[in-house]
Amino acid sequence: MPGATLAPTVPIHTADKAKRTQYSARVSALILLAPALGLCAVFIFIPAILAILGSFFTFGITSRAWEPAGLSNYAKVIADPIFWTALRNNLIIVIGSIVFQVGIGTILAAILDRGLPRASTVFRTVIFAPMVVSAVAVALIWQVILDPNVGALNAIIKAVSLTPPQLGWLGDPTISIWVVLMIACWQYTGFMMVLILAGLQGIPKELYEAASLDGARGLTAFRHITLPSIRNVLLVAVLITTIGGFKVFDLIYATTQGGPANATQVLGTYIYLQAFNLGNMGYANAISVVLLCIAVMLGWLQLKSSRRA
Amino acid sequence: MKRYSTKGRTGPLTRHVIGAAFGLAVALGGGVPQFANAQEDVTIRMWALTNPNYPEFIAQAAEAFKLTHPNVTIDFQETPNEAYKTAIQVALVGSAPPDVFFNWAGEDSNRLVRDGLVLDLTGLANEPGQFGTTLAQSWLDTFSVDGLIYGAPTDAVTKYFYYDNAFFTDNSLSVPATFEELLGLCTAIRAIDPAIVPIPLGNSERWKMNHYITLLNERVMGNDALRADYSLTAPDDQLFTNPGYVTAWGKVLEMQTAGCFQDAPNATSPEVSRTLFSSQISPMIFCGSWCMSIFDGEGYTDYSLFRFPPIEGGASDGNSNMVVPQGLQVAAATQHPKEAVEWISFLTSPEQGAKFAEMRGALPSDPSLLSALPNATEQFKWVAADMASLAVQYNVIDVEVEASVANAYLDAGVEILNGTMTPEQAMESIRTAALAAKAAMQ
Amino acid sequence: MPHFTRAKVLMYGFVSLWSLFVMLPLLWMVLASFKTKRELFMDPLGLPGTWTFDAFERAWGVGMGAFLLNSVIVTAASVALIVVVSGMAAYVLARSDSRWLRLVYLLIVAGFAVPVQAVLVPLYQMISGAGMLNSLAAIVLPYAAYGIPFTTVLFYAFFLDFPREMEEAARLDGCSRIRTFFSVILPLSGPAVASAAIFQAVFIWNEFVLALLMLNTPDTKTLPVGIIALGGEFTSDWPAIMAGLSIAILPILLIFVLAQKYFVRSLAGLGK
Repeated sequence: MPGATLAPTVPIHTADKAKRTQYSARVSALILLAPALGLCAVFIFIPAILAILGSFFTFGITSRAWEPAGLSNYAKVIADPIFWTALRNNLIIVIGSIVFQVGIGTILAAILDRGLPRASTVFRTVIFAPMVVSAVAVALIWQVILDPNVGALNAIIKAVSLTPPQLGWLGDPTISIWVVLMIACWQYTGFMMVLILAGLQGIPKELYEAASLDGARGLTAFRHITLPSIRNVLLVAVLITTIGGFKVFDLIYATTQGGPANATQVLGTYIYLQAFNLGNMGYANAISVVLLCIAVMLGWLQLKSSRRA
Repeated sequence: MKRYSTKGRTGPLTRHVIGAAFGLAVALGGGVPQFANAQEDVTIRMWALTNPNYPEFIAQAAEAFKLTHPNVTIDFQETPNEAYKTAIQVALVGSAPPDVFFNWAGEDSNRLVRDGLVLDLTGLANEPGQFGTTLAQSWLDTFSVDGLIYGAPTDAVTKYFYYDNAFFTDNSLSVPATFEELLGLCTAIRAIDPAIVPIPLGNSERWKMNHYITLLNERVMGNDALRADYSLTAPDDQLFTNPGYVTAWGKVLEMQTAGCFQDAPNATSPEVSRTLFSSQISPMIFCGSWCMSIFDGEGYTDYSLFRFPPIEGGASDGNSNMVVPQGLQVAAATQHPKEAVEWISFLTSPEQGAKFAEMRGALPSDPSLLSALPNATEQFKWVAADMASLAVQYNVIDVEVEASVANAYLDAGVEILNGTMTPEQAMESIRTAALAAKAAMQ
Repeated sequence: MPHFTRAKVLMYGFVSLWSLFVMLPLLWMVLASFKTKRELFMDPLGLPGTWTFDAFERAWGVGMGAFLLNSVIVTAASVALIVVVSGMAAYVLARSDSRWLRLVYLLIVAGFAVPVQAVLVPLYQMISGAGMLNSLAAIVLPYAAYGIPFTTVLFYAFFLDFPREMEEAARLDGCSRIRTFFSVILPLSGPAVASAAIFQAVFIWNEFVLALLMLNTPDTKTLPVGIIALGGEFTSDWPAIMAGLSIAILPILLIFVLAQKYFVRSLAGLGK
């Protein structure tokens, strides 16, 4: 240890003070970290571990005992067609959200930042507004608007002599997931827009001025200056959207409960169905573990890519 | 069981004397002697579904109950329909279960009984003046398992076809006596105006079609043939193999072909379908007994009802109907079983039953005072009388049957309507779920 | 400048179209609060027959005021807890090079990847077993826990760029790490705090699943759960629900409008 070998030049009490400072630094670091770690441990990590544990048993909410089930729950997951439908639907939502929410969000942000800066505040508030509406509200509003008998949308469509889908927007198993995706984009695009707008405002004006002197304006400037400069923000937006797309529950549950006949089932709602409607807690845990693995993998990807930047 | 608190210290003999005196007083039913009211204050925690006017009903009942039980306070809590099933299950295994709670008869109740979470009320209910002695046996059976009483039925809901009087009169239509005549009605209505949907079907929550198939199964095969399959006690090679099940689904398709329903039933909410009827855009609807108060509340009263007609050649003569009993149960972990049962008995008494009918528009389990109700509508009295005249009652599939089989039936209904499953495929999926559930129960 | 004007028209057009797409359903919702149930369903595109506030009264009567208050309390408490706790943790992580602490950061980020759905079952059993149901104070804790990872990442990025001179000055004056954080860092982190706050506020204000399962008594219900209570077992008071929802949006939208300036400026540090 340093204190012992630094003989005459360093007085003992200073060496002690150095150690004490180091010690108190560690202690204060721990104190500052403890609440965050504590809360996460209790409410995130421990339930996660319990879920993983529970996936190896069979039990219901009211069961007196947990029956060991080995890997049978996981075997059931792999053999379960509804699980694969749910996974597919999650992927549709993730990819669709990235393309539309991030895509349109970027375009809107670019327009508000460079094209129409003075109108920006009003439009910003309006476009962000759906974000503050709860999933329950969003579902209720859209259910009535999309109703095949009395809904506003069908009324408009019929008024222009087109025919709406025969089985209904949310009742047709082939299109219902896309309709749900549309509702999600309606709600969350504003969020992406605001996120990217922030990134855009970090780009110095001089870059654009210099480029425009070289003749690069409008779309060209957008492609060669704007996009590269917000690469990191775009990455964060994509990752939030991706993880959000796998986590999604509220919207689907409130709108279709996963119907019609599991056509819009996603992992989140399927876990809920198995755990709380059918009472198969162990099985629900197994599906949860799969979801957990996907999510953790994505989180790890984010860490890697953000470090690189 | 009950612990008697004694203020100050009394010897064991004194305590026994007080206890015996109290027991005697309770056994004598009626007048509880004054000194026995020096009981500890008891709070009965009660949970129920959110329903219009129900909290008011409970409040006035609690007031009236206090006259005979001054030391009992009722702590009432309501939970929205969606979360109720989950919330009550978790509460019962958790740290603070309610003493008295609402539940549906059938699988919901049976599951709790199997897991030992509900109190066996047979003894307490059969004390003088308690509900075991006042309610009809058929009602008591709804919450009984193996002869033991696990709950008290408070009311039941049932289903009828509603029709608009004016439309029928104007178009010289008559109430169908058979299922085939019902199909003819649909065709006739479409002939009058193809844009009119004869019977709007709001199946977005899956249970409307389930009600149809419950009725159709019984009309095709008769109630007795269904029991073994619904309770999963039939032998494996016979479980849900009766060809009548496929026929029943076929009847749904016949209704579709006859133009009874609108194009997108799975995207239509029950709410919208009811509004289409109450706005007189559609002349008929297959709706629950609860719909009467909804229609009346919207100011639409010119309607009548008829029972789901029998099918020509079917095993049922039609003198039966779907009846879904609901009631109150007592948690096994309760500290106050006696007060709980007395409270339940009070709620199911004829007077409270009548009040319940009045405030909730519901059909109580003790209908003796119903005919005297001043505000009961004609339709309400008709339904009450019709229910009393039934020879056979049976519960709805998604309440009666094990959860995963019920789920399979619900999904099958959706797919049949969408045309993505044939009746044979539907029964295949149901049979698979039933076999799996049966295996899991062993 | 014709080219310029055409581009402007296109841009205005696109943004306006999107804004319309966004606003119309919300306008419909507010309009529906003034209709009767029948009008709501039968005349979706029309105006209400009579403009009455009856639905608002009914929504308020069912306890909307109490639900609003509960939501405000829960959201405010959770957001405050999240911001302070995440800030503290991010500060330590951003200022340290130790390998252990980098692992801790990774752990916290992994926590962000865990969806409530996946652990809903054991989480609920844990909370129920601890007797924490139906307590506003109790639900703040899991809400905070699920908001910490994202907010820590946000603050981490911000603190990495925070100029060290102020901190050094404070430390030279003898301030401990903890005091430095509370007296120097936090007050100067306005933009980061505001943006973290608005994000978490929006998510928690609308949080539905945990609230549905954990808060069931009339005096603890938050807004999303309370609104469902306007629906009975068999039928719902739709105009009142729409009225309730219209009321529900106002507070949080107001906060967004007020917090906007900070909100946008601070996120510039997010990508780092």
